[in-house]
Amino acid sequence: MAPELQTAGHRAVEVLAGKLRRRQVVGSREAALETVLVLRQVVSRARFSNINQLVGIIRDVGRRLSEAQPKEHTVGNIVRKVLHNIREEYNTATRGTAAAAAPVRNVYSISKFVLQGQPRKQHVAPRSEATASLKENDPNDPDSFARGIKPVLMEAIQDVLDELETVYDNVSKNAKDHIHSDEIILTIGHSKTVEAFLKAAAHNRNFTVIVAETGPSYSGHEMARALSAAGISTFLVPDSSIYAIMSRVNKVLLGAHAILANGGMFAICGSLLAATAARTHSTPVVVCAGQFKLTPLWNLYHDYGALDFADPSSVLGFEEGDLVDKVDVVNPYYDYVGPELVDVFITNDGDHPPSSVYRLIKESYDDEDHEF
Amino acid sequence: MPPKSSAGKEKDLGDEDEVLQAVILADSFNKRFRPLTVGKPRCLLPICNATLLDWTFESLALAGVQEIFVICRSFADQVKAAIRDSKWSKPSSGLKIVPIVTAKETFSPGDAMRDIYTHGIITSDFVLVTGDLVSNVRIDEVVREHKARRRANKDTIMTMVVKESGARHRTRSRGDSAVFVLDSQTSECLHYEPVTGYPPTTLARIPREILAEHPEVELRYDLIDCSIDVCSVEVPSLFQDNFDYADLRRDFVYGVLTSDLLMKNIYCYVLKEGYAARVADARSYDAVSKDILSRWTFPLVPDNNHPGGHAYEHLRGNKYIAKDNSVVLSRTCKIGPNTLIGAHTSIGPEANVQASVLGERCTVGAGAVLRNAYVFDGTHIGAGAVVESAIVGAGARIGDGARVEHGSLVGDGVVLGPRAHLTKFTKVSRRREKKQADGADADDDEDSELDEVEASQDARALAPVIGEGSNAIVWPARYPQDEDEEEDDVESYNNQRLMRIGDSASDLELSDPGSVTESESDSDSESDASSLRLSRTSSQTSAPTPSAASLHTLQQSASLAEFDAEAAASLERAFAEGHAVDDAAVELKTLRMAANVPLRRVREAVVGALVERVHVVEGAAAQRKQIADIVARWGTLINRIGGVDPVETVEILQYHCARSTRLPLFGQLLAALYQADLVEEDDIRAWHAKPEAKGEQLKPGPLKEGVQKCWTVGRMMIAQFDEQESDSEEESEEGSEDED
Repeated sequence: MAPELQTAGHRAVEVLAGKLRRRQVVGSREAALETVLVLRQVVSRARFSNINQLVGIIRDVGRRLSEAQPKEHTVGNIVRKVLHNIREEYNTATRGTAAAAAPVRNVYSISKFVLQGQPRKQHVAPRSEATASLKENDPNDPDSFARGIKPVLMEAIQDVLDELETVYDNVSKNAKDHIHSDEIILTIGHSKTVEAFLKAAAHNRNFTVIVAETGPSYSGHEMARALSAAGISTFLVPDSSIYAIMSRVNKVLLGAHAILANGGMFAICGSLLAATAARTHSTPVVVCAGQFKLTPLWNLYHDYGALDFADPSSVLGFEEGDLVDKVDVVNPYYDYVGPELVDVFITNDGDHPPSSVYRLIKESYDDEDHEF
Repeated sequence: MPPKSSAGKEKDLGDEDEVLQAVILADSFNKRFRPLTVGKPRCLLPICNATLLDWTFESLALAGVQEIFVICRSFADQVKAAIRDSKWSKPSSGLKIVPIVTAKETFSPGDAMRDIYTHGIITSDFVLVTGDLVSNVRIDEVVREHKARRRANKDTIMTMVVKESGARHRTRSRGDSAVFVLDSQTSECLHYEPVTGYPPTTLARIPREILAEHPEVELRYDLIDCSIDVCSVEVPSLFQDNFDYADLRRDFVYGVLTSDLLMKNIYCYVLKEGYAARVADARSYDAVSKDILSRWTFPLVPDNNHPGGHAYEHLRGNKYIAKDNSVVLSRTCKIGPNTLIGAHTSIGPEANVQASVLGERCTVGAGAVLRNAYVFDGTHIGAGAVVESAIVGAGARIGDGARVEHGSLVGDGVVLGPRAHLTKFTKVSRRREKKQADGADADDDEDSELDEVEASQDARALAPVIGEGSNAIVWPARYPQDEDEEEDDVESYNNQRLMRIGDSASDLELSDPGSVTESESDSDSESDASSLRLSRTSSQTSAPTPSAASLHTLQQSASLAEFDAEAAASLERAFAEGHAVDDAAVELKTLRMAANVPLRRVREAVVGALVERVHVVEGAAAQRKQIADIVARWGTLINRIGGVDPVETVEILQYHCARSTRLPLFGQLLAALYQADLVEEDDIRAWHAKPEAKGEQLKPGPLKEGVQKCWTVGRMMIAQFDEQESDSEEESEEGSEDED
């Protein structure tokens, strides 16, 4: 059982939960960043005497945050990632004392192959200073375990934070391999990742970008402005002409809100239109996204094929008076784009086809954390 | 102690480091929701399964408000308990909520404001809302704008939040709306004219000065008044000073804007995005529910941020079903769009639920039809019953095959027998089991009304209406006794009809100006047209507001005489003791407020006193010097009494001189005023052109002669002006003074 959260950490969690609920924190990266900061605060103040208590505390926070806003999937992803890293650090740190448990985890059997997955990448070198004195459930000094392991845990969380902060750079570092000179790229919406990607490619290549307006939010306008400011030749077209110009387009570049385990994704409304049009013309669809968007879920909203519904005011003005009573407006914010429409995900850790997303998810998160 | 930085917006209010306070008027001070509000306050009525108070708190929390005072009157204990048990009172919510119980004698929002003043709880600019607000507006932005304006102009006391909606929006009250006159550039509210739906308001009177002073004016009749006000600290004290202000809008805003004494400014904030509306009556209850279900209030929607903390799943067609799998929907039932179904509710086979809200733990029998119905928690709707455009209170039981027709309100715990038939707009409530002899906990006034209703029940006649085995009492559609009482226009029966759910009121003759706007596509031309028409009407009325003055006709003559004497004495004292001009002006304003006299009267008193102050001395130069001294010392007082109207000043001067022995001094006095820049050349010309200046309407006599003499003097002066202009543009004004 998780012990009562300390007040300060508790408050930070509640504040973030409130902001998520009220949509004061929006966007997958921002939500992810806020979550890491809160988790760091929680872990640094947490009192625990064995690893299970700590995991319990973090899961508790994760549950609260993801319940507050189930549509920001990155919140849950970050919590899973932190849990994964913490366990890893713990295993490394306690290999000496908990030697009995470790071999069990590394034994392979065909029957449990899918469940266990590949051996985890042990990219973290054991941090020697912690290994010596770790002892769980010390009755004389219940805090000694926490004291011993906290420095490594903080480093593990810092790794997650660093990954988030460098995500744009890492996604776009291979941009010039994907975009070739004189290509025509179509994009939609204003994804920061896509923007960084295109700007990085513009250092080496000379190409043209067509930006769809992306109604009703018209975030495409901002994108076009940002790109042309960077000296990229940019066209802004209405959404309705996406299909018509698709035959001239060499590549469709999309951002993602969340990447699902089946290789599909949620992306800004209009992406489905672009992806379907691209499929018809056999134009490759390339998605740029950080790995923190990998979500161990399937499409949750079969009913709509969309995730979130915003208010109708951007479609039908409130001042329309009489009409408001007679018209039902559906204003979806995200589209679900199925795996068959996506050719490749360019992430901060390599390029992957939709079919191997499940693999990445298995490597990034622990199975027991899929539900908090 | 303010809670730790929590609501996030504190940073933005930043440098001032002030806690943003809000005051919620939890009591509605009217009875539009009866009989639903017989046993509980309006702010605890649920809308979309969360109480109105919760919606209000959420709206304020969204805006980063940190300290909330809830002013409650009736059922204060229930309100307090609700606040105590809610999630808002937990420390993690970041809100500090203080319930304040006002006296039973508080009958209006004005009284409540006076109570706030006496409590002395307000320390800075605050947000004033009613306890029935649903909003996702970023109020903090309005507050910031208000503060910026206030830094520029100390007399800015209030910013009202209004939402553009079109004249015939479902959320816009037809019974209780208003015409706003705004300055297009600054969005200052120049005038506020309340509008009632019935009797239809056809004229809006707009004081002439507004059109004279502001080059560009907007007349808006398409605004929803969100009743979110950002008020300065002075507002409660203004209520304290003006003890007859009752309503926030019809009395306070109207009063402040029409008063030429207060010199305070009120601004409007026209919302471009965001949603805000109040649930003021059953009709707006219906409209706001629909707005919530069709997600106008996003992100404050049932599946995202439900204020009551419930979790709903959003399905195709804006259907919201409680998420915990506790809802039992029969295989053959039909759930239409825009419907919300609470947890543990079960819906029987073949039942049809359209555009309705069902509370928690409700049961809907087989084949029942709910259309546009709002059903609170724990209600049972019998098999085959039909409920249309009605509100059904908590724990009610509607018998099998009963019909509840549109506009009906069914109180909490009412049992309607099988095949009961509530006709349109029937209101029923539960008969009390035993009368409480002392009535200690219940409101006396309400008790007597309930008694009256109960006494009037004729069991036999009512049997087909409420069915067998019912515990209901039927409320009369209108209260005959009310017609004797002095009743507010807004609360009149026919106007109330516009606030009922499901009432199209098509039989009432409504000349809603909104219908005019509809036919005219261009809103600019509309406002131009109406401003012309309106200015013509206002020119027929005298400048001070007729309605305010007419209230006191009886006292008028007595107080006029008293005022004259007092004003003369006050000025005498000021002259004798050498007060500062400002002090004298304040004294006159106070006198004027006490006697409630028109501004002209004050001007007459001041001008008269000045003229009498001048001693007649020998020698033109000495005389001129004396006049110049007096005008230089006291002349500015004429413009400090609460309004500047130099033409009137000249006219008053003329008439006073004509009456008194100082007739020969008129020319010199006028010249002195001119030189002191109190009157301009144009003003003298304007005065000269007026028929009153010639004294044409006067009977022949000494007065007329005097007036005409003055007029002649004026003509000479104007002739001089003309001459001067033709002579040279360069010549200084002193020159004309010397020739005089």
